[in-house]
Amino acid sequence: MTQPSAPILKVENLAVAYKVRGGEIEAVQNVSFDIHRGDSHGIVGESGCGKSTVAWAIVNFLGANGYVKRGSIKFLGQDLVGKSPEELRRLRGDQIAMVFQDPMQALNPSMRLGDQMKEVLTVHRGISESEAEDRCVDMLQRVYMPDAANVMRRYPHQISGGQQQRVVIAMALLNNPALLIMDEPTTALDVTVEAAVLDLIAELRREFDTAIMYITHNLGVVARVCSQVGVMYAGEMVERASVERIFAQPQHPYTQGLIRCIPTLGEDKASSALYPIPGRVPPPNARPAGCIYAPRCDYAQQRCRDERPALRLLADGVQVRCHFTEEIDPGQWTPPEEVEEMVETVNGQADAATPASTNNGKPILELHDLRKYYPVTGGSLRDVLGLGEKRFVKAVEGATFSVPKGSTLGIVGESGCGKSTLIKTIIGLEDSTSGQARFMSFDITEGLSERNMALIKELQMVFQNPDSTMNPSYTVGQQIGRPMVRFGTVPRSQVRDEVIKLLQSMRLGANYYDRLPRQLSGGEKQRVGIARALASRPDLILCDEPVSALDVSVQAAILNLLLDVQREQNTTMLFIAHDLSVVRFFSDNVAVMYLGQIMEIGPADAIYRPPYHPYTEALLSAVPIPDPTVKQKQIRLEGSVPSAVDPPSGCRFHTRCPRRKLLPDDGAICTRETPPWQEAGDGHRIFCHLPLETLASFDPVVESLATH
Amino acid sequence: MARFIVRSLISAVLTMLIVSAALFFFLEVGSGDVTVKILGIESTPEQRASYRTQLGLNAPAWQRYLDWLAGSDWRAERAVGLPLVTVRNESTDEAEWWAERDGELVRWTMRDGELYQLTRQADGSSVESPADVAWQEGENGASYFWGVDADNNAVMWMRGAGETVWVRTKAGFRKEGDGPREYIPLRKGLLRFDAGKSLQTGRPVSVTLWPRVRNTLILAGLAFLIVMPLAVFLGVIAGINEGTWIDRVISIGGLALTATPEFVTGIFLILIFGVWWRVFPAVAIFTSPNAIFEKPMLLVLPVMTLTAVELGYVARMTRASMVEVMEAPYIRTAAIKGMPRRRIVMRHALRNALLAPITIIMLHVNWLIGGVVVVEAIFGYPGLGSYIYSAAIFGDPNAVEAAAMLLVIIAVATRLIGDAAYMLLNPRIRYS
Amino acid sequence: MTVAPQTIDVPPSPSRWSRAWDNLSLVFASRIATVGLVIVLLWLVLGIVSLFWTPYPPNSSLFTQNLMPNSTNWLGTDHLGRDILSRLMAGTQVVLLKTRLPGENGWVIPGGVAVWGVIGALFFGSVLGLNAGYRGGWWDQIIMQVLDALVAFPAIVLYLVIITAFEQGDLVVVFAITVTGTPGIARLVRSLALDIKTRDYIRAAETRGESPSYIMFREILPNARGPVLVDATLRVGYAIFAIGTLGFLGIGLPPPDPDWGSMVNDARRFIFVFSWGVIPPSVAIASLVIGLNLFADGMREELGRYQK
Repeated sequence: MTQPSAPILKVENLAVAYKVRGGEIEAVQNVSFDIHRGDSHGIVGESGCGKSTVAWAIVNFLGANGYVKRGSIKFLGQDLVGKSPEELRRLRGDQIAMVFQDPMQALNPSMRLGDQMKEVLTVHRGISESEAEDRCVDMLQRVYMPDAANVMRRYPHQISGGQQQRVVIAMALLNNPALLIMDEPTTALDVTVEAAVLDLIAELRREFDTAIMYITHNLGVVARVCSQVGVMYAGEMVERASVERIFAQPQHPYTQGLIRCIPTLGEDKASSALYPIPGRVPPPNARPAGCIYAPRCDYAQQRCRDERPALRLLADGVQVRCHFTEEIDPGQWTPPEEVEEMVETVNGQADAATPASTNNGKPILELHDLRKYYPVTGGSLRDVLGLGEKRFVKAVEGATFSVPKGSTLGIVGESGCGKSTLIKTIIGLEDSTSGQARFMSFDITEGLSERNMALIKELQMVFQNPDSTMNPSYTVGQQIGRPMVRFGTVPRSQVRDEVIKLLQSMRLGANYYDRLPRQLSGGEKQRVGIARALASRPDLILCDEPVSALDVSVQAAILNLLLDVQREQNTTMLFIAHDLSVVRFFSDNVAVMYLGQIMEIGPADAIYRPPYHPYTEALLSAVPIPDPTVKQKQIRLEGSVPSAVDPPSGCRFHTRCPRRKLLPDDGAICTRETPPWQEAGDGHRIFCHLPLETLASFDPVVESLATH
Repeated sequence: MARFIVRSLISAVLTMLIVSAALFFFLEVGSGDVTVKILGIESTPEQRASYRTQLGLNAPAWQRYLDWLAGSDWRAERAVGLPLVTVRNESTDEAEWWAERDGELVRWTMRDGELYQLTRQADGSSVESPADVAWQEGENGASYFWGVDADNNAVMWMRGAGETVWVRTKAGFRKEGDGPREYIPLRKGLLRFDAGKSLQTGRPVSVTLWPRVRNTLILAGLAFLIVMPLAVFLGVIAGINEGTWIDRVISIGGLALTATPEFVTGIFLILIFGVWWRVFPAVAIFTSPNAIFEKPMLLVLPVMTLTAVELGYVARMTRASMVEVMEAPYIRTAAIKGMPRRRIVMRHALRNALLAPITIIMLHVNWLIGGVVVVEAIFGYPGLGSYIYSAAIFGDPNAVEAAAMLLVIIAVATRLIGDAAYMLLNPRIRYS
Repeated sequence: MTVAPQTIDVPPSPSRWSRAWDNLSLVFASRIATVGLVIVLLWLVLGIVSLFWTPYPPNSSLFTQNLMPNSTNWLGTDHLGRDILSRLMAGTQVVLLKTRLPGENGWVIPGGVAVWGVIGALFFGSVLGLNAGYRGGWWDQIIMQVLDALVAFPAIVLYLVIITAFEQGDLVVVFAITVTGTPGIARLVRSLALDIKTRDYIRAAETRGESPSYIMFREILPNARGPVLVDATLRVGYAIFAIGTLGFLGIGLPPPDPDWGSMVNDARRFIFVFSWGVIPPSVAIASLVIGLNLFADGMREELGRYQK
């Protein structure tokens, strides 16, 4: 990786510290890397590893209490550290631009988008208003913003999230910056929108001769847009290599561990396993003296604990911060005993209960044509006075499926597709509008207030956000014990023992009993949340994105834990996620939802290869796969998701369906008639007008998936 | 947007209704026997009972609430059978009630058991003539007549049998023999700007109230005009310099000013400017209704007192909002775009920062009004505040109700203005 | 830009005491809160001492009238020749330490008028705010509409109306403080409840079939505690402010116990001949209110930092 030109950005030995009460925290230390023109340099790492801090240091926006403690940041040859604020201000927005994670937050809610864009030109380049206007419109068109001239006059809340991010990117590119820093630019977006934005970024990288610094936690995204990757851990950069090298031959034990944690699209629990990294990231004030990764490293030796390794340049241009990298062979890696044991039992269960056999089990949950509508009031005067027509958000439309006992049904879809409403209706947080729903012998169309305790006890839920899953005012023990007391499943005198038993099965010690939530890490909170759901020994657990807010290494542990629970207690699960790889890995059956409607449902492996619904196909082609060598078909959806208040007639997907043209009259039937449910065998049903043979004739989105 | 407007309007109307009912029933239930307050504790139970009848206090409470709110002429007209009209009495500047019959304005009076008709002349005087009325048959053979008496009541006389009543005159309390049996005090009701008579003065509340309202509006308006720009300016300065000494001075100073009661501030200002330095008059002595225009210096200390108390609060609200906005991600975006700090504050932060406090500031007009009561009491300023204060001390329900309703109307109106300003400044609502 | 939250290894199972100490250290972490606390404690101590001892009997005219501070009367005497320091000390009692019940026997309950008034407001405000925030819908509409109407009354006007309606007395002032304080606390609790009810642990409670009152009082209220207590502290300040104002207007706490507001009012009548008289009680009220404000402010800042 020798580069002919001088680097645009060269960061050397950077250390950033924050002053806090009673001392100082070094959030980042010993970070060195360089980015060349036309390069796209990824910085990956889990939350809190300091990757954003590096970006803030470059633009000198560390807040009142942060400062660059050591090292240099050379931009186009000149050191940014120690430059006057005024000089830095001139560089920012002109030579260095930045794109942030949440575009809604990043744009000023009370300024027109055009004004926000134009000022970049008028302030830095002194360009006249009207010329700035023209250039902004041009730039918006280059980022494929529909109706660009009109968007200039709008406010941020009037356009969709994907469009907002396009505006932010256009704004960053206006002055043709030498360096573009992107901090998780697609994390807040849905997967199909993310795919389109990533395409755009890749295209811009080729067109504009810009160096990109791309910060993300998502290895799949890195594989798609980056040429170089730096892996950060606990404030240090531990490995740096080309994107192909990182994925093919990760050198640092941490990088290896990270890659082992994530399921690749197409892997399932029967054929593969996830290996979480044991332990947790040390806080900045308690980092070990030697190698920061030593406490969690499987290969750690005495030298690792004593001496901090330097970032070494290996022969083939890879930089690694490890003493023994040459001696480590990832192929020879064996999981630590505890994990191995768990993974084995999980696999054993999966072998015994193949999807076919679970599908033949007695259904525990049956829905038939279940609907959930919410009334909405419009904003016009007529509506306010109650004269307008009654309108509804059709959040769930005609959901029909059954879930065999002991199996897992995964539900995927983008935000707003109704998957959360569906499980809220099942568990009774919402009552259904019409249709039938039975759980065992109970009718569950009514809300919780109508249900009896015997039923309530059988349905429990695991939540998404670890920070809000536990009540901050009560100890772990109190919160897990409450369902036992409430449902009377355990005599009061034995609650404590029972809770401790549960804690232990969650791999948490008895000493967690008296802890308060704020003393727990995200993963630990999630474990407690699972324990609480299990406390009443329910037959059905509904998991609402239980791992999406967690770091990948923790995510793997939680997934394994859930599998373990299922094996031991033969619990049935509904599993919602937006990550198709995770759903594929975790579920026996999968349902794909779009705009309140289930589009396709069937055994997990069948969903992921043709025949599939055109929407499923688009979703699959959008998933970022953490392997730069995988060839993925590029199918992108146009427009944005229509409103659920007036969903499109006929097939709800027809406004965006890329395959509609295959039907006569450009798919006129799709706009008129509700599609039929087509049986593709083994309980696999597709909700589409296209004949099964056509659907089956599609090329697989990802080569490797077809061969499975 | 229509939704927000309709919502706040409906809410305002409901608020007024609830407030009026609460005020009325609260004072009704709580204030005990008002006749004792008017007639004095020496009055006999007989006198009080008679006076109660004259004030119409024997009617059920809900009836009196409706009378008070919407007027009693509706039901009185039904009893009398003639349209009732008000005519302005030139000499007293008060409204008189007359019944309109065949194009003439008439009233009635009873003397020695005989009913006489008073016909109003163009010059305001009246001509007396024997009444030519149709007596109606009541129960047990008695005949009765509903008419209007000379004291603006719709009354019921019994034929040939005047009730013995105690009449309150300027000279004192007098027993009369030709009184009516039932009274409906005539009033147009609060909704039509008639708040009834003050028990304290015997004059209509609305006549004495308006000059007071004007004085108070001048006082509060001046304070408001001084406070708002100054406080917002200080708040913004403190907010963008968070954590610096200037922020500390403004924050702590603001806190000290807010936390010091108006009367303490007022006393200190009087001590300093009125007693020690003698630069401004320490008491507002009103020699004529227009005194504040003739001697504007009278206003200085009251306005200063009000300003001092409000300044701190509004400045602190603005500061808090500014600090929050300056930490918002879009301000970070602007900074990363390389915008100069001045532009960031003026174009990006200010509008959003003023949005949050606007409604709170407008709600805070309540405090300003509370302050007005105290300030007017300290300085003897003849405004609405001192009016309600003296009415409350005396226990004059009509006056308290009217003045309180006015103050509440001001408070609700400013809240509506605040809501409207918020809607206009916030594009998220404007374009929804 | 803030530092990412760090997981701190706290020793397992902290005892009640160490938690209490944690909370206390929160106070001392803020210089502003410490100053406020010191001022408030100073008055509290003076008040408690005055229950047993004052330099002179506070209601007896033992000295020459209108004396400036001197070695006998450290803060001088008032227009009736009473010792101002003694009266000032005793004046703390009715606001912070005792409430006189109506009736001839002169019964007294511990806790001052301001304190009980705020406790009342806390109670009603929490109940109303929780119901409005958690239940929403018509509950919310009706409760908020009624409270909006209450808020529309300028506080002083509401006091005046209440005082017009009832006789003077400690309980009437308590009632007035409760009525004026309720809407504010209810609004605060409502907004907190609206936020807290979106949390997943509330969903968890609902999916265990907990009753609305369990969710409101056991799941939501404990998490609203911090901001509500800070607000209540502020409100004790406002209440003292209001009691002072009522006393000044001559419609506050009934005699004979000395009351700062009426002390200012009495002294004001002699302001041109004896200006000193107004200063001690004015400073007393202002300092106690400012102390409570500083304390609440510092606490709020720390709490915010803590919750981040």
